[in-house]
Amino acid sequence: MASVNINKAGKHYGGFEALKGVSVDIVDGEFVVLVGPSGCGKSTLLRMIAGLEEITSGEISIGPRVVNDLPPKERDIAMVFQNYALYPHMTVAQNMGFSLKLKGVPKTEIKAKVDRAAQILGLEKLLDRQPRQLSGGQRQRVAMGRAIVRDPQVFLFDEPLSNLDAKLRVQMRSEIKELHQRLKTTTIYVTHDQVEAMTMADKIVVMRDGIIEQMGSPLDLYDRPNNTFVAGFIGSPSMNFINGSVVDGGFKTTDGILLPVVNASANATVYGIRPEHLHIADDGIEIEVVVLEPTGSETQVIARLGSQQITGIFRERVTVAPGSKIKVKPDLSVVHLFDKDGKRVN
Amino acid sequence: MTNRANQIAGAAQAAPAKSRRRGRGFDRQAAIVALLFAAPAFIMYAAFVLVPLGMSVFYSLQRWDGIGKMRFVGLNNYLIVLTDSDLLQVIGNAFLLAAWFTLIPVVLGLAVAAAIREHLGGPFGTVTRTILFLPQVIPLVAAGIAWSWMFANSGVVNQTLRGIGLEALARGWLGDFTFALPAVGIIGAWVLLGLCTMLLVTGITKIDPSLYEAARLDGAGAWDEFLYITLPGLRQELGVCVTVTVIAALASFDIVYIATGGGPGIQTTVPGLEIYRLAFAHRQVGLASALAIFLMVLVLVCVLPIQWLTRVRR
Repeated sequence: MASVNINKAGKHYGGFEALKGVSVDIVDGEFVVLVGPSGCGKSTLLRMIAGLEEITSGEISIGPRVVNDLPPKERDIAMVFQNYALYPHMTVAQNMGFSLKLKGVPKTEIKAKVDRAAQILGLEKLLDRQPRQLSGGQRQRVAMGRAIVRDPQVFLFDEPLSNLDAKLRVQMRSEIKELHQRLKTTTIYVTHDQVEAMTMADKIVVMRDGIIEQMGSPLDLYDRPNNTFVAGFIGSPSMNFINGSVVDGGFKTTDGILLPVVNASANATVYGIRPEHLHIADDGIEIEVVVLEPTGSETQVIARLGSQQITGIFRERVTVAPGSKIKVKPDLSVVHLFDKDGKRVN
Repeated sequence: MTNRANQIAGAAQAAPAKSRRRGRGFDRQAAIVALLFAAPAFIMYAAFVLVPLGMSVFYSLQRWDGIGKMRFVGLNNYLIVLTDSDLLQVIGNAFLLAAWFTLIPVVLGLAVAAAIREHLGGPFGTVTRTILFLPQVIPLVAAGIAWSWMFANSGVVNQTLRGIGLEALARGWLGDFTFALPAVGIIGAWVLLGLCTMLLVTGITKIDPSLYEAARLDGAGAWDEFLYITLPGLRQELGVCVTVTVIAALASFDIVYIATGGGPGIQTTVPGLEIYRLAFAHRQVGLASALAIFLMVLVLVCVLPIQWLTRVRR
C-alpha cells in the first residue's frame, strides 16, 4: 500500500490541454473515484499515474517516489482495463501469473499466488479456461485476479464495469468494494457513472474539462455541491434547477412563482432541489404532471412548474393522470442556491 | 441456405399432417434454388479445376508424346518421379527455394510490422507500407529481368561489392553453381516481402492496443511484447503468409524461367519449370503430368499442416 500524490499534473496533446494542473492527495488504503463526463481528463490522469501517458507538467508520487520518469513496470501498480485486456491465447492461470513469470518468480510460487487470488475471486474452477470461454463477469474477475496476484501498492481501475449488463454491474460493484475492504490496497477508480462513484468511493474527485470541480466524501458532494455542475452530476435523477431571483427573502421563479427558502442570498439566480427532497403536501406549490414513472418502491413524476420542468420522487403511490395538478413542498433544509456563474451561495 | 432449408423442414414437422406434402414441396423447391445459385460457380470450378485435374491424373498413367497414341503404363511415371536423381534434385530445389521464399519475407515482414506498429496511423506508416508493397505490383517477369541485371557480372551487386573492397566476392551470381539458387531465392523473397508485410501490418492493427499496455504494466519489455502479444495475435496472418509463400516457392516458374532458365545445370530448376520442359520440349506429357500431380500432393502435404497449426481456435 502507498499514498499517491498528484501535484499540479498537466497533460498537453499538441495544442490541446487535456489536464490543467490537477492536484489530488490520496492517502494510504483510500478508495478514490475519479468521475466526470467523457473527455474530462479522468482516464488521462489514471493513465499518467500508470505510466501509460507521459506527464507534461507537474509531479506524481507513489509512496515516497516521484514516478514521472519511471516506466509502468517500476511503479508497482496494477491496472484493470475497461475491456479487461486479457491475453487471448493464455489460460486464466497464465493470464494471472504472467507478470510473475516475467519477473522470473519460480513456478511453484506463481501457482501458489494464482491459486490464492483465484480463491479470493472464486475462479478456482476456471483456471484452465481461456478468456473467450468466460462470461463478462468472469473476465472481469480474472482481470482483477491478474492485478491481485502482483500484490501492488496501488490498484487502478479504468471504467471496469462499463461493459457489463446492469445486474452484473451492481454485483461486481459490491465485489470490488468488498475486495478493497479485504485487501486495503490504495485504489483509484475511474468511472462516468455517478452511482458507482457514490456507492464505492471513500473520496470522489469530480472532474470537468481537465480541472477538478470538487472533491470530498460522497455525502459531502451530495449534500453540499460547490456548483451547479457537481450538483447536477452527483445524484440520480439529477437535481432540479429552477431559474429566478431572490425577492423579499423568498425565491421568485421566472414565471413569478414564489418558492420557500431560508437565509436566501441576494445574488442567487438558481434554486436547486433534489427530486427526492420534494414532498406531496396540501399547502405546497402547484405543479402540472407531465409523465408518471412508477417503479413499485417509488414514483418518479416529471412535471411543469410554470414553464420550467422539474422531477420529483415520492415514496407514496401517485395515481393522478398526466395533465393533473398536484401540490409539492421542498425540504427547506436541503435547498441549494447558486449564483449566475453556477457557484453555491448558501 | 442449409439453415433456410432446416427452418423450412422444421416448420413442416410442426405443421399438421395435412400440410406436410406442401412442406416437402417447399423443401424440394428450396433445394433446387440452392443448386441453381451454386451452379455457375460449380461449372466454372469443374471446367477449370476438376476437369484439368482429372485429365492430368489420366495422362500421368499414360506414356504419351502429346500427339500420337497413348499407352497405359500404370504408375510407372510416378516411379520415375520418385527415383530419377535429376527429378529428385528438382523437387529438392523447390524446398530449398521455399526456405528462401518463406523465411525472409515472413521474418522481415514481422520485424517491419512490429517496428511500425505504433506509427501505423501516421504518414510514416503509410509511406513504409506503400514502399514495401511496391514489389507486389511489379510483374514477376519485370522483377526477374531487373534482378538478373543487378546480379550480372557488371550489375549493381558486384559494383557495390567492388566499391566496398570485397571484390573477391564478386561473381556472376545467377550463373554460379553455389549461389544461383540463393540468388533466385532473394528475388522471390523481395517480391513476396511486400505481401507478407501488408498482411502482417493489417493483422497487427487488429490486436487490441490495451494488451500491449497491460503487458507493459506486467513488466514486459519490447521482446516480451513481441513474443507474447504480437506473435500469438498474428497466428492467422502468419498462416496465410507461410501458405502463400510456400505455394509460391513450390509452384514457382516465371522468376526462375526469366532469371536463370533453371541453370546452371539444373541447380535452379524447379518442378514448375521441369513440368513445362517435359511436356512441351521433351514431349513426355505422361511424366510431366505425374510430376504435376506429385507437386500438387507435395503442396497439400506442406500446406495442410500449416493451416491446421495456425487455424483460429474458437
